Amino acid sequence: MRRIALLLLVVLLTACSATTTDGPAALSESVVRLSDLQPISAPASSAVAPLRVAVAAVISPKGTVESYQPLLDFLSARLDRPIELVQRRTYAEVNDLIESGEVDLAFVCTSAYVDGHDKFGMELLAAPQVNGATVYFSLLIVPADSPAQVMADLRGKVFAFTDPMSNTGRNYPTYLVQQLGQTPETFFARTFFTYSHDDAIRAVADGLADGAAVDSLVYDFAVAREPALGQKTRIIHRSEPFGIPPVVVGSQVRPQLKAELQDALLSMAETAAGRRSLAAAGLERFVLIDDSAYDSARALLQAVSATP
Amino acid sequence: MKALIARLPQRFWALAGSVSIRTKILGIVLGLVLLLGLGVTVQVRYTLTRAMDAQLQEQSVSVARDVAARATDLILTNDLYALHQLLRETQANNESVRYAFVLAPDGQILAHTFGAGFPAGLRDANAVGPAEHHRTTMVNTDEGPVWDTAVPIFDGRAGIARVGLSETVVRQTVDAVTGQLLITTVAVSVVGITAAACLTWLLTRPILQLAEVAQAVGRGDLSRRVPRWADDEIGDLASSFNAMTDALATAAEARAERDQLRARYVSGVIAAQEDERKRIARELHDSASQSLTSLLVGLKAMSTTCDAPDVRQHAEELRGVAAQTLDDVHRLALQLRPSVLDDLGLPAALERYVAECRRRYRLHIDLAMRGLEAERLPAQVETALYRIVQESLTNVARHAAARTASVLVERRNGRVRAIIEDDGRGFDPAGAGQERLGLYGIRERAELLGGTLTIESAPGQGTSLFIEVPIAGDRGPHA
Repeated sequence: MRRIALLLLVVLLTACSATTTDGPAALSESVVRLSDLQPISAPASSAVAPLRVAVAAVISPKGTVESYQPLLDFLSARLDRPIELVQRRTYAEVNDLIESGEVDLAFVCTSAYVDGHDKFGMELLAAPQVNGATVYFSLLIVPADSPAQVMADLRGKVFAFTDPMSNTGRNYPTYLVQQLGQTPETFFARTFFTYSHDDAIRAVADGLADGAAVDSLVYDFAVAREPALGQKTRIIHRSEPFGIPPVVVGSQVRPQLKAELQDALLSMAETAAGRRSLAAAGLERFVLIDDSAYDSARALLQAVSATP
Repeated sequence: MKALIARLPQRFWALAGSVSIRTKILGIVLGLVLLLGLGVTVQVRYTLTRAMDAQLQEQSVSVARDVAARATDLILTNDLYALHQLLRETQANNESVRYAFVLAPDGQILAHTFGAGFPAGLRDANAVGPAEHHRTTMVNTDEGPVWDTAVPIFDGRAGIARVGLSETVVRQTVDAVTGQLLITTVAVSVVGITAAACLTWLLTRPILQLAEVAQAVGRGDLSRRVPRWADDEIGDLASSFNAMTDALATAAEARAERDQLRARYVSGVIAAQEDERKRIARELHDSASQSLTSLLVGLKAMSTTCDAPDVRQHAEELRGVAAQTLDDVHRLALQLRPSVLDDLGLPAALERYVAECRRRYRLHIDLAMRGLEAERLPAQVETALYRIVQESLTNVARHAAARTASVLVERRNGRVRAIIEDDGRGFDPAGAGQERLGLYGIRERAELLGGTLTIESAPGQGTSLFIEVPIAGDRGPHA
């Protein structure tokens, strides 16, 4: 009797343990040894050196990929050469890449160009044209329900800067505060960097910041794609026009490549595919531009830098 | 096997019958608790494992998606250090995360949590398409099964995040719970055994008491009763037992009364018989003997005074008949009631009687008496022993065809014992004929005095009668 009961128990236990171990549906055949670490093999270098294109973090990295990938794909097809998109968190890092020749072509911010041009001879290649002009503005935005009307109303509030090197996102609001006889550190209760303009807009829309100064092109583009952002924010101030963020090359880029790139950019609007790619980035076309277009930004930078 | 199954009921009953109620109850309680405990443990273990496995899979998906979301900007801006930090933090903040790594779109490993190298084969153990939400698979590793979830980062454009959650924590939790349940089972078993022991004590105490009282009643102590502990079946049994004992006691009392009545009657009859014999013997002695003696004297005188020879001869003949008759009357009187028993006591009476038997039956009879010299036995004991010896020797003479017999009467420790033996043909004591042999009368006389008769005999082996009678006043009950 006892033997039978024991047998039943064993059968029961076996049945239960069997069902528990049979659980996983897809069981890999081979056993991976997690403690047996192998050196990681270096990637094989591709035969064709890709054209390395940097896009400064005017908008967030994801937004940059979404906006610029069609444009870069078009250029790649046009130049018959793979293009690698390079992004960095700050403008300064991108400038360093241009200076050291690690990138061939770059979409940079206005103030980054001014800085690069003066420091290591960054060269203008072309400038995008938006709304028939090659200018843009700095927009001072606040949450839609904020009572603030001018910069002075933001005293003691939280302010979001975009990039330490940004013309519209850092230099211009700093200039405005300096006009009020203050520095951002004393004027605002707290400031922080979002490292991209669309994130600054979101910071204001979500109430994280009481105010921010952003690139008008990015603002218009973002509001067009996401109308809710426009409803949650309000523009209380618009700056004088500045030269639009240009497309540049480093001083080390060979003249022939520079000419090829310039030609490819300038002729983009001539084909339907090119126009679609431009539209994806919110641009109309690329045009030639002179360094003098950036004098106002240069003056602003000097004014801001001069004030302690 | 068939034979085993056929023998099962038998073996079950043999096993169940061989253990005490205490063991049975303990066995039932222990068996139930263990069965319940093990059943619950197995069930909980199974359910818990399944639930926690499912939870682990979900957790692996959520962790992987979190890593993928947070890694996007870091990968796009080539911030590999921050990416590495993200993976390390993910691992640090989730106990179950065994590893995490990020693959570039070209399959290159951008960051991982392994340190100096990377396990061979792990990269290709799981894959996910750009359009998929995630893909989870179980990877068999040397450290046990790991749920590996792959999530495309930024629709695969920035690569793939891979997170592996080890089942170790789940196993440990399940084992801990199982251990707890087993400990609980053992604890409940201990409590159960204690409770069962108390219950057994409660149940068996009245039963054991019932058995003890039943044994006492069996020994004849009808005064014992069982207390009724509870209003249950055992209580009913105790009541029934008590009722039965009451009935037995009443019956025994009635029987004792009857026996006493009968004994009184029998002893009355025997006493009357003895009295009557005594009277007849005295009558014979006083009246018939006197008349016969006168007749003898008259006939003697007649034979001497009468001259006629034929008359004298006739008178002599008649004197011979009268003398013979007187002798017969004496013998009859002696048999009926030897006056020597009343006058000189049992030893003298027995000696005379045995001598008479030797002479009459031509038997060799040994007579031995011990402890009878100092003090006479009570009259009824003397009479009974005398009659018993008388009856026994008559039996020996009539039926045994014996050559020798022996009689021993011994007084010792307040009892008197008589042994009458012969070397005759013997008989089967279990068989019939005891009444004919007068053994019934012997037994009756012995028992009336509170004594016993034991017969040892077998055909061809002779016969021994052992009679033991307590002496009233010395010790034992009165007859």
